[in-house]
Amino acid sequence: MDVIVCVKHVPDAETRLRAASNGKWIDPDGVKFTVNNTYDEAAAEEALRLKEKCGAKSVRVVTVGPPRAEEALRYVLSMGADEATHIETPADALLDPLTVARLLAGVIKTLPHDIVMVGKQAADDEAGVVGSALGALLGLPSYAFVTELAPDAATKTLKMHRYVEGGEEHFQGPFPAVISLLKGAADPRTPTLPNILKARKKPLTKVSLADAQTRAQALPGAPASGAVRSFALPPPKTGAKMIEYQTPDEAAEKLVKLLREEAKVL
Amino acid sequence: MSKAGGGEVVAGLVGAGLGAVVEAVKAYGPDRILLADDPRLRGFSAQAYSKVAAKMLEGLADPKAVLAPATAMGRELLPRLAAEVGGTVAPDATELSPREGGGLVVSRPIFGGRASVQVDLPALPCVSLRPNAFAAEPRPGSSPKVENVAIPELPAPALALKVEKTVVSRGDTPELTEAPIIISGGRGLKGPENFVLIENLAKVLGAGVGASRAVVDAGWRPASEQVGQTGKVVSPNLYVACGISGAIQHLVGMSSSRCIVAINKDPAAPIFKIANYGVVGDALTILPALTSTIAKSRGVPVP
Ligand SMILES: Cc1cc2nc3c(=O)[nH]c(=O)nc-3n(C[C@H](O)[C@H](O)[C@H](O)COP(=O)(O)OP(=O)(O)OC[C@H]3O[C@@H](n4cnc5c(N)ncnc54)[C@H](O)[C@@H]3O)c2cc1C
Ligand SMILES: Nc1ncnc2c1ncn2[C@@H]1O[C@H](COP(=O)(O)O)[C@@H](O)[C@H]1O
Repeated sequence: MDVIVCVKHVPDAETRLRAASNGKWIDPDGVKFTVNNTYDEAAAEEALRLKEKCGAKSVRVVTVGPPRAEEALRYVLSMGADEATHIETPADALLDPLTVARLLAGVIKTLPHDIVMVGKQAADDEAGVVGSALGALLGLPSYAFVTELAPDAATKTLKMHRYVEGGEEHFQGPFPAVISLLKGAADPRTPTLPNILKARKKPLTKVSLADAQTRAQALPGAPASGAVRSFALPPPKTGAKMIEYQTPDEAAEKLVKLLREEAKVL
Repeated sequence: MSKAGGGEVVAGLVGAGLGAVVEAVKAYGPDRILLADDPRLRGFSAQAYSKVAAKMLEGLADPKAVLAPATAMGRELLPRLAAEVGGTVAPDATELSPREGGGLVVSRPIFGGRASVQVDLPALPCVSLRPNAFAAEPRPGSSPKVENVAIPELPAPALALKVEKTVVSRGDTPELTEAPIIISGGRGLKGPENFVLIENLAKVLGAGVGASRAVVDAGWRPASEQVGQTGKVVSPNLYVACGISGAIQHLVGMSSSRCIVAINKDPAAPIFKIANYGVVGDALTILPALTSTIAKSRGVPVP
């Protein structure tokens, strides 16, 4: 069983966002990029557990991103992945998630893959598009919002758990498949120093954007993509209007009046 | 939009045993209803449903856009459909407008609601709509024609998907991701027994009940109520955070709510930075006061 995990190099959750001068995305200057954005880190952890607990042969980590994204690959290698593939894009490329899915699919098609793991959504664009688009492009089933998975190699089925509207579902479906993970069974491991050193020597293959585009041409469907027109930051929050009161009843009455008359939400 | 553009609104329904759903959809007055009601479509499979939806699109002369709610299913289905039919996709839209030269321009929040983008979607836009961002108006008296769609050949893996068990959330509160009002509790509630105060306020408002991860991890509340990065992302009109400190992982799940009220003992709690209204105080005494004030003004019994 071969496992592939896709991760994106994204701004750290605490980063202060500033708009880039072209007004289309954040200004990357001074931003700390990382891979530990819960979903992708959880996908990596779960991929490694498939190897350790379920006998998967290898775990390969793949990313589409600028040169700096190699750091994300090294990080997952230092968590324990075996090999990495970097589809390298220009530093200023702003790719639509459907385009990312096509680039990934073109390359993944040529690699052994029984299970492809992705995060529920990337921490920056929060699209949640790549996983199920990958499924369509690879001609595989895709399962999203998964929180638990257990493969049975003999029958090639996965037992899974996911949240759906109105409740939760325990279900099973066959693999090969693409899984978008909401959260994993365990906290993602932190790489140890010896593993960080080992990861430097693990094989990392670079694929040029042109090469990935050529491979993507063999995929079904017509390529189409959206494009960001503008990026905006909300006006800074001015802080809450604080309710002054003597008794809980007075607080309740003042609050209800504001919610009714000012905020108009009651 | 179709009103402005003079087009037709076609409702596509996919699943099994959809009788009641068809009736519910009729009340909103689509021009036509395309129905794929088949026992093979009982469990949600993005692979199968997208094939059926693509078949429905094939039968339309000139589809302009595909819209779905930004629920777990809607968000999973549309990218697959877009990839299959050569469309474009934008999830979780808060605004839509026609694009010059065809397609749509869509606004959507990103970075956990800390920023937003406007996206140009030229080819067939497949867009999921953020709950509560758009109002649905019933159109009484409409009687759309219901047309059955032949199920295309489905891939074997899609047919092999089996739902073994469904755990339905408690039926007396609305689904969290769609609830227009959410009352949410954190560790400041002190114990699971005090969540009855949250439930009572939710009851008089017809609201959903949410929780922080801390209280879910402690076993006080079910995981289905968790709001945040590893729980649900919600965007109600009103979010009342009670005894919740406002950790970043919680905020990304609710900060795009239209109006946020924070009730917290600690005036320095970070939740006040993103709240619209704040009450510094003990949630255990403020909550009952709120419940009775609202119940009395609505003429309903105080729970
Ligand atoms: C990877 C990761 C993912 C996470 N995902 C999530 C997530 O999805 N959702 C989530 O919520 N958290 C998540 N967390 C956890 C998050 O960091 C916080 O630990 C959590 O949100 C805290 O919950 P809390 O606000 O209920 O508790 P606390 O932080 O303990 O806050 C309790 C608050 O209650 C107040 N209080 C105490 N007594 C009273 C009283 N009587 N009346 C009123 N106020 C009172 C206190 O002043 C305090 O502000 C995640 C963390 C990590 C690392
Ligand atoms: N550039 C990328 N390279 C590799 N994987 C990606 C990339 N973008 C997104 N993904 C994966 O797809 C998931 C969903 O991303 P998105 O659809 O952009 O929200 C992420 O959590 C990643 O696992």
